[in-house]
Amino acid sequence: MTQRPSWQEPPTLAGQSAKGLTLGGVLLMVLVPLWIVVLTSLSTKGAINRAGGLVIWPDGITFEAYEEMLTDSTVRTALLVSFGITIVGTAISMVVSILCAYGLSRSDSFGHRFILVLLIITMFVSGGLIPTFLVVTGLGGYGQWWALILPGAVSVFNILILRSFYSSTAAELIDAARIDGGSEWRILWSIVLPTSRAVTAVISLFYAVGYWNSFFNVMLYMPTESEKWPLQYVLLTYVNRGVGMPGSVNAGFGMEHAQTAPLSLQMAVVVLTLVPLVIVYPFVQKHFRTGVLTGAIKG
Amino acid sequence: MLNRRGFLGAAAMTPLLVACSSNTPRSAQKVGTNSKAGLKAALPAHVPSTAVKPDIASVAGSGGAMTDPGFLSYPANPVATVTGVPGKGGSYTAITPLWGTVPPANNSFYQAMNKALGATLTMKPADGANYDTIVTPMAAAKKLPDWIQLPSWWNAKFGTDRLVGTQLADLTPYLAGDKVKKYPNLAAIPTGAWQAGVWGDKLYGIPGSAYNFAVAGAIFYRRDILEAKGITADQVKSVADYLSLGKELTDAKRGVWAFGDVYTYLAFSWDLPPNWKVEGGKLLHKYELPQLLEALEWHYQLAKSGYVHPDALAGQNANSNARFYSGKELIQGGGTGAWNLGDYQSGVAAEKNYRRGAFNYISHDGQSPARMFLGPTTSIVSYLNIKLKPEQIEECLAIANYLAAPYGSAEYKLITFGVEGVHYTMKNGVPAATEDGKKFVQAATFPFLTGPTGVISNLGADQVTKDYAAWQAANVNALYKPAFWSMNISMPQQIALLNTSQAIDDAIVSCVRGKKTVAEVKSVIDSWKKSGLDRLKGWMTENVLNKYGTGQ
Amino acid sequence: MKERLLRDRSLLIMVVPAVVLLLIFNYVPMVGVITAFQYYDPLIGIWDSDWAGLDQFQQLFADSRFWDSLTNTLYLSFVQLILFFPIPIALAMLLNSVLSERVRNFVQSVVYLPHFFSWVLVITIFQQMLGGAGALNQFLRSHNLGTWDVMTNPDTFALLVTFQGVWKEAGWGIIVFLAALAAINPGLYEAAAADGAGPFRRMWHITLPGLRGVIVLMLVLRLGGALSVGFEQFLIQREAVGHDAAEVLDTYAFYYGIATTNYSFGAAAGLFKSVISLLLIWGANKLAHSFGEDGLYRK
Repeated sequence: MTQRPSWQEPPTLAGQSAKGLTLGGVLLMVLVPLWIVVLTSLSTKGAINRAGGLVIWPDGITFEAYEEMLTDSTVRTALLVSFGITIVGTAISMVVSILCAYGLSRSDSFGHRFILVLLIITMFVSGGLIPTFLVVTGLGGYGQWWALILPGAVSVFNILILRSFYSSTAAELIDAARIDGGSEWRILWSIVLPTSRAVTAVISLFYAVGYWNSFFNVMLYMPTESEKWPLQYVLLTYVNRGVGMPGSVNAGFGMEHAQTAPLSLQMAVVVLTLVPLVIVYPFVQKHFRTGVLTGAIKG
Repeated sequence: MLNRRGFLGAAAMTPLLVACSSNTPRSAQKVGTNSKAGLKAALPAHVPSTAVKPDIASVAGSGGAMTDPGFLSYPANPVATVTGVPGKGGSYTAITPLWGTVPPANNSFYQAMNKALGATLTMKPADGANYDTIVTPMAAAKKLPDWIQLPSWWNAKFGTDRLVGTQLADLTPYLAGDKVKKYPNLAAIPTGAWQAGVWGDKLYGIPGSAYNFAVAGAIFYRRDILEAKGITADQVKSVADYLSLGKELTDAKRGVWAFGDVYTYLAFSWDLPPNWKVEGGKLLHKYELPQLLEALEWHYQLAKSGYVHPDALAGQNANSNARFYSGKELIQGGGTGAWNLGDYQSGVAAEKNYRRGAFNYISHDGQSPARMFLGPTTSIVSYLNIKLKPEQIEECLAIANYLAAPYGSAEYKLITFGVEGVHYTMKNGVPAATEDGKKFVQAATFPFLTGPTGVISNLGADQVTKDYAAWQAANVNALYKPAFWSMNISMPQQIALLNTSQAIDDAIVSCVRGKKTVAEVKSVIDSWKKSGLDRLKGWMTENVLNKYGTGQ
Repeated sequence: MKERLLRDRSLLIMVVPAVVLLLIFNYVPMVGVITAFQYYDPLIGIWDSDWAGLDQFQQLFADSRFWDSLTNTLYLSFVQLILFFPIPIALAMLLNSVLSERVRNFVQSVVYLPHFFSWVLVITIFQQMLGGAGALNQFLRSHNLGTWDVMTNPDTFALLVTFQGVWKEAGWGIIVFLAALAAINPGLYEAAAADGAGPFRRMWHITLPGLRGVIVLMLVLRLGGALSVGFEQFLIQREAVGHDAAEVLDTYAFYYGIATTNYSFGAAAGLFKSVISLLLIWGANKLAHSFGEDGLYRK
């Protein structure tokens, strides 16, 4: 798509430079802080304490923060757990959400409005933390991986987005297929899914990122099972070093309790969080190319 | 990343007030506080340990306080205080908060400890920063482990007053009076610390980490930088002296400000109590004291003076340590827990002459004698599950006795440093952690069940130990026991809501940041007074003052 | 009706998994809503806690700080709607118009990264750049240009938090619009160009209508969520600008509910918020319908 389509006007200098300036400004606003974060993660204790905070110019460089985390066997196990939870969770969520979104996409289907309202209510009404905890533990979820997946497996927001795509972009094709007498399962599988790859990619990304970054349910349902923890929670314990312990509590508790986590470690955690996203995003992105839809239909 | 140490520091000094959420008292639940006689009957006898002699001896102060003993090296031939193994082969699970990275389960240190204990004690540390969120639902689902640490600053959150007797075991029959002498290391824990575990005239909690010199915090300064300018701690005798320091030290163009956050600790120079003051038999709440407004006026002016680091004024205290190390903020308040080896190492990494110092407690006008209230001896209290059988409780207490072995003993050495050759090696009398030691031992977990009375020890940084001990000795006479010191008070929800006011606390913070005038704070306080101060005082008089006295 | 039920049975079956999950993990815990009418004590449980009737609500409505926080929330929501909502759409269209796939991919994969920064980090970075001792003000100081107080000024706080929000979330927000843009048939542009429509007319008549479904959906959800403007962002900056400017409904419920273990009071504030939010989204949906749009579902 790098080639300009024949029907499009040649770009004007003013238009190009306005675009360039805007994008350049936007990029700069993100890249500068990113540089600071990465640099701080690579800085020595001395460099950070001389800077009095985040480091802007290189002063002393070290990989200590990364070494500390990556040599921790808990981190390595947690990485596998995180991959597992993300893959299994995303798969479950996508199947459930796509089915639900398609099931609700027909504008005259039986009961779809009632079910939609039922769904939307959950976006705004919550029974609170403790009742949810009691339900999950009542079902035997304490210390179980499923407790990190199922309670949050359905995002109504994501279902609404999927549904909106199904009922707008692919609507004509679906109607035609229905007239031809195709079963709903068949329509979903061979028409809807192939023509809506972009939104499938986006929603998968939303779910995957959600699972990858989630830690709150870990805190509730397996706060002491360190060998079962996903990565984000282990990283959180690195960041939370010394946080929230009253300063008056004397530090007779060993080195770790005495000090808040060095900034380098905290920033290394941020960088480690970003790495998988930087790796994954191109795979999502390639579904954004215009023409995917038409291509699929012709094929 | 949020460093809430500063504010929590002071909060932890009044941790013993507990609110019951329910409006009407339940049968199992005692409202009010312990009776004088009941408390005395429940407390264990105190038999100080003489096993080890410190390098810097304790000094007693006039108000009943003592300094902590100091050690410059770990005793070369540690004595054993426990004979044989304490355990009988039982299996227990313990949950403690951990402000650090979690060591792997079943590691070589845990194994060594279990061998020494003669029992399987499965340590399950949970993230300390979110410990309240973790334990609250656990308690609601009645899923507490055999042994759990409930730091007292979260008593209200946990509902400790209602957990005792319903989910947590009564230890009075095992420890009260002379019964504790069966466990000599537990008997050496100071009485004030045991008091934190007494509820409704019964003993439930096992204290750890007791410090005789327990204070909310102090005003720290960069001793290396100030001394280079010829400024020493004894020159600061009043808040006016602080202001002139502000003028002298601030150099905004160079990015240097004299002050960080000081209100939390400097406000005590106006003789503010932690919560209550009793004058002529009448209760006075800290919010209604006129000196609070005076203190606020001074801090309001300070905020406007330009001597306070803008990040501190913006409440950005996550990097306040780094600002201190970098010399961008020269004077800041903080808990005394900050004065240690790790601090020294961080500071020296930035500036090789780094030295932390603390100003002496002062009275704001420099005329009247300096006074600072003594904090509770401990806020680290662990509890046993009510489901345990009597012989299991005895086994756990025997284990606790092992864990409470004093500094300098062989047991303490194992608990703190691990196994020699595996977790540490001795270098010039200083234990140096190996890689395994750093991973398995340094994230201390056992001390959160119980431990001996604290000492000052920063092996490898003698200057820190000497400085801190000298500061304690210089200030021990300023310390006094405030009203209701170290007492557990259990309040009905509606009373507890009167006792602390988010609205006033918010207004105070706004004022010391220069955003609200003292007059505005006063009007918030006035409406709080009208909303039920009399009811609060009536309740306190009836349920606490008349029942127990001030405890002073 | 029976016919429709029979016809749509596969669609209804598809909805079942999502609905079951929501029933178990959202609707059952909703029993917790009744704690708003109690003096709830988690250790005693919902079934045995004392009844309060409407006492919690009376206290809530009598508290001027509650009304202040509601006003703040609505004001911030309004500012965010005007200044924040259109930006991801505009950015997505701008990106989409860039011909070079390399540039487009690079910009996309950079601008979405701040979404993964925690609020603590975002605000630390802002403080270090724009704070009283930040890079900007140190520069101004050293050139005797006075200082510019952005981070602690209550009057401009709404603009500040909106800007922070745009910085953190706009790049993430464009993803769903990119997916919608990808679904537009490029043949339409070609045909329009052949008919002599210039770039702006094409944008107006093809691009925007193609995005309309998603935009309306997002707008309706945004209005329904008008009482949620964020939590952590305000919690962290509460001290900087003072609670008068920074207190929003969620922080209010936190400080006067959970933080003081006054759970029922917090639950009452939460229930109030839920009810108003449902009314808002119902109204927003009606509004969408009255403009002939689909909103959450077809009229």
